Amino acid sequence: MRRVALPPHVVEFSADDDLAAPALAALYPAAPESAAPPTFRYRLERGRDGDWTARAHRQPPFGPAALGDAWAFLEWRAIEDVLHEPGPDAVYVHAAGVRIGGRLVLLVGGPGSGKSTLTALLLRRGHPILGDDVLRFDAREGCFGAVPRSIKLDPLTLRELGLGGMADRGPEGGTFLAAGAAYTSPAVFLAGWEAGRGPAWGVVLLGGPPHTGPALLARRGEGGAAVRLLQGVLGNPRAGAASGPGRADARLRLLESLEGARAWEAGGADPARLADLIVEAVRT
Amino acid sequence: MGAAPVPAYPAARADVALRRVGSEWVVFDAAGERAHVLNPSAAAVWAHCDGAHDAAAIAAAIARGLPATEPAAIRGDVDAVLRRFAAEGLFR
Repeated sequence: MRRVALPPHVVEFSADDDLAAPALAALYPAAPESAAPPTFRYRLERGRDGDWTARAHRQPPFGPAALGDAWAFLEWRAIEDVLHEPGPDAVYVHAAGVRIGGRLVLLVGGPGSGKSTLTALLLRRGHPILGDDVLRFDAREGCFGAVPRSIKLDPLTLRELGLGGMADRGPEGGTFLAAGAAYTSPAVFLAGWEAGRGPAWGVVLLGGPPHTGPALLARRGEGGAAVRLLQGVLGNPRAGAASGPGRADARLRLLESLEGARAWEAGGADPARLADLIVEAVRT
Repeated sequence: MGAAPVPAYPAARADVALRRVGSEWVVFDAAGERAHVLNPSAAAVWAHCDGAHDAAAIAAAIARGLPATEPAAIRGDVDAVLRRFAAEGLFR
């Protein structure tokens, strides 16, 4: 059994079979362990035929399925449950966060825009991160914080980036392969992976696929970038603790936290060069 | 957006906030969970939507802050911005 803290929640993963131990360890590998009572429980059960059933909070059983698919289901459900109930005075936003030279930069874009790829590249170059896809914004402090989940990349992308070895490490090495995706602990890329909490210094808006042409990074209006970030607030606005005045106040506070932020738009088919451009822009 | 009427004395809803972000302005509609980028002129119009100014008074107030500008010269733009705010449901 493994319990990790994903504030304000404590998430418990368990299994009735030792074979599942690496899979459990791979769920939120970078999250701190917790001894507190769990708010959400997830469980892997092995069937007689060697297949698996995944049991998630408030969901019907998923399976029988291969271990990788059952694992991916739990990973998806766990983050969905956490972000739907962010706690008072907080919201989750769809963005990556990287600290470059002490300045926190948010990478904003839809699926396939390259958030995870850029995050992995910047992390490998020594820039700590808050996450590659989801960040938690604490409205009381006006700060973004980490959501310590795995970085999800397809194995082909890992190899194209010269990071193919990451996909071959296996669960015990910090990488779990499931349905064409490699879930890699950020600690695999950089031991001190977690950036400190803080307000955003800049926002980079990433274009969607297809990615073509040379890497591009250009300044753009900060207000439009702020609106894009607000549109990326996650969770169901009509359900649970993520609704009501608290959520609206948190979103307004998020907007206010961006008052002094800079903004860029980025694109192109060369993520390594784009990572260079981002670092140069932030350090200038 | 529909063709909502513009109140004679437009007043911003209490739960709609205007905030500066970098060099731009953003109006945030808490109830509608929406945000809009405003250019400086539109932000100036919004700042006068206090229920005490009609469109003519808003144009006059903004013109006073601009060099050699008569209210009549910007009245059309003010009306257009007010219509957009009304269509977005931002007035009381």
